[in-house]
Amino acid sequence: MQSPRPDAPVILIADRDQTVRELQRFFLDRAGYAVEFADDGEAALERARAAPPALVVTEILIPKIDGLALCRRLREDPATAGVPVIVFSILSAAPRAAEAGASAFLRKPLVESVFVAAVNDLVAAQPTEAMEEQCRSR
Amino acid sequence: MPLSIIVPDRRAETREADDDTDRMSAGNPEADYILGGGFPADSINIVMGHPGSGKTIFAEQLIFHNAGPDRPILYFTTLSEPLAKVVRYLQGFAFFDEDKLGTQVIYEDVGPQLAREGAGALIPLLREAIRTLSPKVIVIDSFKAVHDLAPSAAERRKMVYEMTALLTAYGTTAFLLGEYTEDDILLYPEFAVADGIVELSRRRLGNRDERYFRVYKLRGSRYLEGAHAFRITGSGLDIYPRLVSPQMPEGYEPASERISTGVQGLDEMLHGGLWRGTTTLLAGPSGAGKTTIGLQFALEGARRGEPSLYMNFQENPTQLVRTIRALGVDLEQAQAQGLDLVYASPVELQIDSIIVDMFRRIQQRGVRRLVIDALGDLASAATDPQRLHDYLYALVQHFAVSTITSVLNFETTGNTIAGSGMQNAMSYLSDNVLLLTLDGQDETRRRLRVLKTRGSAHDTRVREVEISAAGLCILE
Repeated sequence: MQSPRPDAPVILIADRDQTVRELQRFFLDRAGYAVEFADDGEAALERARAAPPALVVTEILIPKIDGLALCRRLREDPATAGVPVIVFSILSAAPRAAEAGASAFLRKPLVESVFVAAVNDLVAAQPTEAMEEQCRSR
Repeated sequence: MPLSIIVPDRRAETREADDDTDRMSAGNPEADYILGGGFPADSINIVMGHPGSGKTIFAEQLIFHNAGPDRPILYFTTLSEPLAKVVRYLQGFAFFDEDKLGTQVIYEDVGPQLAREGAGALIPLLREAIRTLSPKVIVIDSFKAVHDLAPSAAERRKMVYEMTALLTAYGTTAFLLGEYTEDDILLYPEFAVADGIVELSRRRLGNRDERYFRVYKLRGSRYLEGAHAFRITGSGLDIYPRLVSPQMPEGYEPASERISTGVQGLDEMLHGGLWRGTTTLLAGPSGAGKTTIGLQFALEGARRGEPSLYMNFQENPTQLVRTIRALGVDLEQAQAQGLDLVYASPVELQIDSIIVDMFRRIQQRGVRRLVIDALGDLASAATDPQRLHDYLYALVQHFAVSTITSVLNFETTGNTIAGSGMQNAMSYLSDNVLLLTLDGQDETRRRLRVLKTRGSAHDTRVREVEISAAGLCILE
């Protein structure tokens, strides 16, 4: 597997399922993203605050802070309020995800085309640092 | 209408009553009906059965139906049958589509690798397939063969666990085919993780085989329980869903209209004819006139513009046509008016196929009158007396709800109806019972007696009857 480009957008994934993680990493790598994982909601929140990723993907059923609470906490913090969040869960919880401020809800299992398209759309909708730099220099 | 309960193309109806689970069609409307709309999408299913039971054909019918340009379907052959053999026989079926082969349906022989590296090699093979092909369906034929490669129960369990994790994480519907028996369900770990289990079985009956399709388990879904007969044809599996009793609709009321039997004098004995929607058991020994009365009843229906179905297992088509013409009837005209004559050879009878064929005709033609000649032939087509009883009970209920007036001929061994369990059961189930008898001394003298009419008075006398060119009539 080739290592991602140094400037590849970072996708932060909060999920405990090793098989799901493995597939997500493979498909996102192939789509040109860098992938980082967090084992629980607290770790994900810390990581996102330290360096906001291009996108967060979270399962609802994760320890310490669940995925919906994680989503709310990200929205409340000005440093992470603009980070798009995909709630990607085994639970059928689209309305609850929307209420928590998620940008999108996808139900498991993972289908590459659907998952990668959602990530691409949300990342593309965000101004990247490079684009911001370009705007500033004009 | 309740009749739709056993006729194909009822997916919308069953879906409506089910949950919001997405479904994958089995590529077979009858199987979908039994499965409550199809297999749940993104599930793991086992298709079990002895060699030659039809598992591979069932799976191939499913994959060619679901194959499309979006995501391919992957068919792993393992150590059961070589790929060349599977594909060679596949080409003889109507559902085979050469254009889909290699692009939308991808066959891969993983047998050699599994033989070399053991059962554990399946997991990386599946992982690689998911990464490279994104298959929407994965078939493993045979999974039992992979299972058998594992050196210990612990290894087997580990392999099944890893496979389940992978197939559950990724959005794909898996079918594990295997030569399992019912006892294996309690023993093997793959059955614990399966969302759906269907069995294809074969039972020898004299010089013919009976095949059955059965659902053992279908998570999150209702399904039609029991054994459903099927045949393998050039189109794949032709399944006959077991007839079940209809739900009586709320406000169901028996029809309040009398209809003519077409037999001179009989309507008067019945105080105005038969109630529409009732079932009449017409019993009597051979030669007493049952077929003639049955034909007159059906022809009377056609004459009045009521589609009438005559299911005949007794006389071959030539004999029956001769009998009809002897009654002075213009057969072509009667058929144009709505008479449908169906003949099935008693030798080839299988009760499930007869019943399904009958209901298809009833629905297609809007049948109002039906004659079955004779019930005894249905009995010989049923291998299980309980199954026959259930069928007859369900039939009578369907007819009542749909207000189809039926006459069921039954041949007795003498001039009495008492005797076998079936006769007693049918007397009980039927609304009306008529008994024809032959004189012991002079067999040209026939008599008819009305033994029972539900919801009506009747002439209780034994009446002499005569068969002439005009048919059977009650003598004064």
